[in-house]
Amino acid sequence: MLPALVLFALFFLVPLVVLAVTAFSRWGGVDFAFTGLDNYRRLFSDPVFWKAAGNTLFYCGASMVIQVPLGVAVGMTLAMKVPGWKVFRTIIFIPFVISGAAYALVFSMFYNPSYGLLNNLLAPVTGGQHDWLFDSGTARWAVAGTFVFIIGFVVVVVIAEVAAIPTELLEAAEVDGASLIQRQLFIVLPLLRNIIGTVILVRLLVDIGMFDLVFILTSGGPDNATTTLALYAYRAYVQGQWGYANAAGSVILILGATLIVTVRRAFRIGERAL
Amino acid sequence: MRITKTVAAATTAVLMAGVLGACGTSKGGSTNAAGEIEITCATCQKSATDPFLQFNFEAAQRFNEANKGKYHVKTLQNANAGSGDARLQYYQRLALANDLPDVFQLNSAEIKSLSGTGKLHDFAPDLKADAKWAASFQPRAFDALSGRDGQRWAIPQQQDPIGIFYNRKLLKSVGYDSFPTTWDDFEAMAAKLKGAGATPIALDGDWATLLMWSNLIGTQPAGSAFLTSEIATSKDWSTNQAAVKATERLRGWQAKGFVNADSFSGDFQNAASKYLAGKAAAVPNGPWFVKTNLKSANASPGLYDVTDAAPSPGWDSGQGLIVVSGAGWVSGTSDQTKLEAVGAFVRFMSSTDEVVKQAKATGSNPPVKVPAATVDAAGLEPLSSRLVTQIPRVAQTFPHARVHGPGGIDAAWKNLWPAYVKGEIDTKAFLSRLAAESAAGS
Repeated sequence: MLPALVLFALFFLVPLVVLAVTAFSRWGGVDFAFTGLDNYRRLFSDPVFWKAAGNTLFYCGASMVIQVPLGVAVGMTLAMKVPGWKVFRTIIFIPFVISGAAYALVFSMFYNPSYGLLNNLLAPVTGGQHDWLFDSGTARWAVAGTFVFIIGFVVVVVIAEVAAIPTELLEAAEVDGASLIQRQLFIVLPLLRNIIGTVILVRLLVDIGMFDLVFILTSGGPDNATTTLALYAYRAYVQGQWGYANAAGSVILILGATLIVTVRRAFRIGERAL
Repeated sequence: MRITKTVAAATTAVLMAGVLGACGTSKGGSTNAAGEIEITCATCQKSATDPFLQFNFEAAQRFNEANKGKYHVKTLQNANAGSGDARLQYYQRLALANDLPDVFQLNSAEIKSLSGTGKLHDFAPDLKADAKWAASFQPRAFDALSGRDGQRWAIPQQQDPIGIFYNRKLLKSVGYDSFPTTWDDFEAMAAKLKGAGATPIALDGDWATLLMWSNLIGTQPAGSAFLTSEIATSKDWSTNQAAVKATERLRGWQAKGFVNADSFSGDFQNAASKYLAGKAAAVPNGPWFVKTNLKSANASPGLYDVTDAAPSPGWDSGQGLIVVSGAGWVSGTSDQTKLEAVGAFVRFMSSTDEVVKQAKATGSNPPVKVPAATVDAAGLEPLSSRLVTQIPRVAQTFPHARVHGPGGIDAAWKNLWPAYVKGEIDTKAFLSRLAAESAAGS
């Protein structure tokens, strides 16, 4: 118990207290002075901050719209043990386990207007060399588009959850004349409520602090069209404005906590589904 | 039992005190087991991919050999030794921890930032005390490495003219035997090259694009003054007519399709690969381009033989050339004994023998005056050193915007340039925001 408490204090409480205190200060590592709410006043009057907050929420939303439904659908399909399902499961899981930096590099090539696969595929339709990542109109969507390939975690969790559903339930429904699609929609899917809520929570935790993908793909450009709150805080940090960076970090924390509480309540996570 | 425990505790305490004492000696001490004054170097490691690091490694071995029993350079293995985005942060953290290496290399923008920590050694008194050594450097070699009050934060590592590499064969195919000498002629040639299916000039949205921006500014009457002083002030750049004119012309090239489609990524390799594949007619870069790109396996066969380097075209007839001494040796020690060894090391690295060896190994040019006969005898790579002879002939020489510009100019440019080219912000807003965001990021 004690070692756990020490570790918790060292790696969670202490950083949290440091963040909470320094968010109200001017701090660059050496100099330190309390400045009250100055950091927050500056934060909320900076249009780039609002752009970053909007982008962060956009990526959270995109993740919910793309990764969760797609991951659940693929997971439910593979859970039916279609031929080759183990191979598909492995292939789908690979993008989740490779490093974010490597993943981003692959996608920077995928979107390259000169030699990228996407432009080559779309050439018969668009006929041009569109720079998806550096056009303000498409940059956010191009970054979000990479989410399609990071569904491995959702898929694996859903497969495991479906396997835990008692077969008697599905057999009884089959005897009663329910079709395969009806069994999936009206029996399996409702029983996945808890786990869907959990994967949404996990994805939110990742997306609220999204950094590496955007940093490598676009550095937050063009004109901050893809800047996230984490990238915003990082820029302040490398400029030596650590107090200001921590003020931005506190917004990430509050936003994340709010979203998580909302999702937990909406999905009644922790309550038995069956 | 209690006695045993007491003895064990006392022994442990004594041993720990000994170990801590030894650590303290090692940290604060300056000599190694051989009695040599030992200094640490964080950019002297072996490298199969970075010719500068490899040269530093070999030079440090020569220094150690020549100074056996007196000085010794100890190589630190450093993942951030080569130039890169994370290098400055790495050294900033070390500066905060008061643990900077005794000697290492930084570029001018990094020096500007790190000197603010007060942890860099000022070489000005050393140079003042050794007039012969100070006079051995090229004129203006310290321009980008100096502080406002005359501090010399670094000893120059190189001084390079940065020109435009071009493919003679592609230019000839549209009727040009040499590189254009005016911007109008350059644009006429670019239109012909585009019509012939080639990319007239390969850019990257960062380093190379800023090079061409600097050329377009520096070849105007007041442009050089902007690049050497105004760019470093907090003035709004949109009020400078040279900057406005240059920016709009550069945007025009993008709009007319004279530039590669992936020119916004900030990755120089996107620009280099077009040139190396023989698809782009020109690419701006420094002499190191020969060694690191043109003579690499990535270059298409025979490309080196049809490549030449030229100064930038000018607005009327006078051409211009970027001359930079953008990197140098800095020291993070304040230990007087170690500074003696650091002084010996940087003198060694700026000696005629070593700068010529470096030029041969990397393609860069010496930061010190080297007799023409020595240069000839060394047989330096001709394409790399060709622009050096042109320096006195061009009408204007000026620095790269990165050299005197605020440290955040790269990030600000990469963020704003694509939006400006796409017409989302106008020239005034672009230059005003570029100035403000560059200053904020330094």
